[in-house]
Amino acid sequence: MKINGQTALITGASSGIGYELARCFAQDGYNLVLVSRNTDRLNEIANEFTQQYGLGKVTVVGADLAQPDAPQRVYNEMNNQGIRVNVLVNDAGFGEYGMFATETDLQKELSMIQTNVTALVHLTKLFLRDMTTRNEGKILMLASVASVLPNPLMAVYGATKAFILSFSEALRNELKDTDITVTALMPGATNTDFFNRAGADGTVAHKQAMKTDAADVARDGYEALMSGKDKVVSGMMNKAQVAMSRVMPDPFITANVRKQMARPSNGNGQHEKEGKKQMATTGSLVGAVLILGIVALAYYNKARYTDFKLSDLHL
Amino acid sequence: MNGKTALITGASSGFGREFAKLFAQDGYNLVLVARQQEVLQQLSDELTQAHGINATVLAKDLAQPDAADQIYLECQQQGIQVDVLVNDAGLSEYGKFVESDLRKELDTIQVNVTSLVYLTKLFLRDMVARNEGKILQLGSTLSLIPTPLMAVYGATKAFVLSFTEALQNELNDTNVTLTILMPGAADTDFFNKAGAEDTKVYQDTKLSKPEDVARDGYEGLMSGVPRVVSGFKNKVQAVGAGMLPGSLMAAAMRDLMEPYDPDAERKKKITQYTIAGVVAAGVLTWLALGRNRRSDWN
Ligand SMILES: NC(=O)c1ccc[n+]([C@@H]2O[C@H](COP(=O)([O-])OP(=O)(O)OC[C@H]3O[C@@H](n4cnc5c(N)ncnc54)[C@H](OP(=O)(O)O)[C@@H]3O)[C@@H](O)[C@H]2O)c1
Ligand SMILES: NC(=O)c1ccc[n+]([C@@H]2O[C@H](COP(=O)([O-])OP(=O)(O)OC[C@H]3O[C@@H](n4cnc5c(N)ncnc54)[C@H](OP(=O)(O)O)[C@@H]3O)[C@@H](O)[C@H]2O)c1
Repeated sequence: MKINGQTALITGASSGIGYELARCFAQDGYNLVLVSRNTDRLNEIANEFTQQYGLGKVTVVGADLAQPDAPQRVYNEMNNQGIRVNVLVNDAGFGEYGMFATETDLQKELSMIQTNVTALVHLTKLFLRDMTTRNEGKILMLASVASVLPNPLMAVYGATKAFILSFSEALRNELKDTDITVTALMPGATNTDFFNRAGADGTVAHKQAMKTDAADVARDGYEALMSGKDKVVSGMMNKAQVAMSRVMPDPFITANVRKQMARPSNGNGQHEKEGKKQMATTGSLVGAVLILGIVALAYYNKARYTDFKLSDLHL
Repeated sequence: MNGKTALITGASSGFGREFAKLFAQDGYNLVLVARQQEVLQQLSDELTQAHGINATVLAKDLAQPDAADQIYLECQQQGIQVDVLVNDAGLSEYGKFVESDLRKELDTIQVNVTSLVYLTKLFLRDMVARNEGKILQLGSTLSLIPTPLMAVYGATKAFVLSFTEALQNELNDTNVTLTILMPGAADTDFFNKAGAEDTKVYQDTKLSKPEDVARDGYEGLMSGVPRVVSGFKNKVQAVGAGMLPGSLMAAAMRDLMEPYDPDAERKKKITQYTIAGVVAAGVLTWLALGRNRRSDWN
């Protein structure tokens, strides 16, 4: 059994993808810092991992990342306890479902921006500074396929994820001459508490989510993080959808996401059928561009390894 | 006078100031929002006199969490119905993220993202209830391009684009339209305030004129176009950015965001011309030799 002495701090470790990511680290003998609001649950998880894997030390930090001072408090807590964070996982996040103009809750959306965007930037700033001093460290950002697909009925949520991807890619470029890597994990709909908490239960996307295990998504993210990749889209269909977004006009992409966000209501036969139809349309659409997607990905992989400079264009 | 009212944030400078003029020319009443009260008051006096419109000045700091709420309340108290909302106020901070000023970046998020969402929520609700209204959001070509050395700013503009496109879809069945204006680098106070006045993009590329950009945005807004990329070069860039991988775009943008070094640029150009010259000379020589040889054979 391996104990590696390194510490990973994971926000949103109490549930879903964050919980499964924490498990990946626990299995590899990392010390853990588990951050979220629900400290009861975090303590349970700490016990579970200690019993199951018994390798590293597990520290629980209760924090509501919708509070502006939370990132600084988490950081101070690490300093007080003399914990050096080698890996930062910015996973905590949530959504809010409904029509922005008439249905969604503004307070929840403001908290969402604070948690998904502001706290993520703030935590990254604090821990990245120390990583830079040591020239060592890894950061995982929870983006989403929604980072590249505008998300009707979750307009603010999708935009927070677009923020995260842009930020991660810019940061990665800034750090290219260091030993610090930034990785963006882009899951599609995944079977976690996310949809319930967002009030998006019963949507087509929620039904799709049932088929994707948080553990698999976490594994993809963990491996990409460990090998220092810039980003990883988890799942074949999601890869295709992301590739498609590069070549299709935005209104078309957006309308397609809208269908996935719809709620085939009341189990009423008619609606069920419609839901199925929507899924089939989405499915065949995605299928039709699958080849295109593979080509795009192949191109992308090639492009990643060429050191591109703007001056090349001037020639 | 057309009896309608446009609320413009960031009206004290740059694009926002130009928008105020355009609306006033078309007879709109104005609500002018920014921090610099005197500058707004001057503009207000100017425009009310020149065009016989009404203007209200609201000096607010949109980096404050309650600013959007206050703006909405004051409009209500003064009985002002906002028919057009222009979310223009914005700022940036320049530098490597690990060194840049956190406070300024948090303000950037609050102004460019949070207050924009907040104002959109409050005024859009009423617009949808009346089934009429127009909103202009200030994106940027950087909405599509991860931006090293302005990592947070670029991300705020990516947010604005995604948010706006999602809302455009949600509002499909209404008469309310949302337009996003995506300018490239323009000659406003923006780069100075960001501490980015020495960058290559500011020093060594052709900057758009704020009045041209505002005109494009205004026309797009009035005709309810979803997306306006101002300027031909920027249109080309936007099409490319949509299709190219983020890492590639980030690398290209990094080059433009580096400090401008005229000597290095000159050397780079000399090298490029030299290489081009050598290649051309080589090709010519080869052609000439080929000819000669052929003539030998004849
Ligand atoms: N599920 C999906 O389909 C999907 C797809 C793409 C991306 N993602 C992203 O994946 C990440 C994890 O989501 P999930 O699917 O695993 O959802 P989840 O099961 O609901 O877990 C969300 C986690 O975030 C934490 N969190 C939420 N608000 C918080 C706050 N104010 N302060 C501190 N922690 C907070 C929660 O902890 P507490 O409640 O204990 O505070 C919980 O641990 C999110 O960033 C989400 O956007 C999810
Ligand atoms: N210039 C460019 O190259 C460029 C390119 C693409 C997009 N944009 C976007 O265009 C918009 C306008 O920028 P600009 O180029 O016209 O820059 P600018 O000349 O610097 O004007 C910025 C405006 O925003 C206001 N503002 C800034 N912080 C504020 C705060 N905390 N509270 C209230 N108002 C605030 C300023 O007013 P006070 O200082 O009086 O508060 C000013 O009126 C921004 O959203 C910017 O991101 C600019």
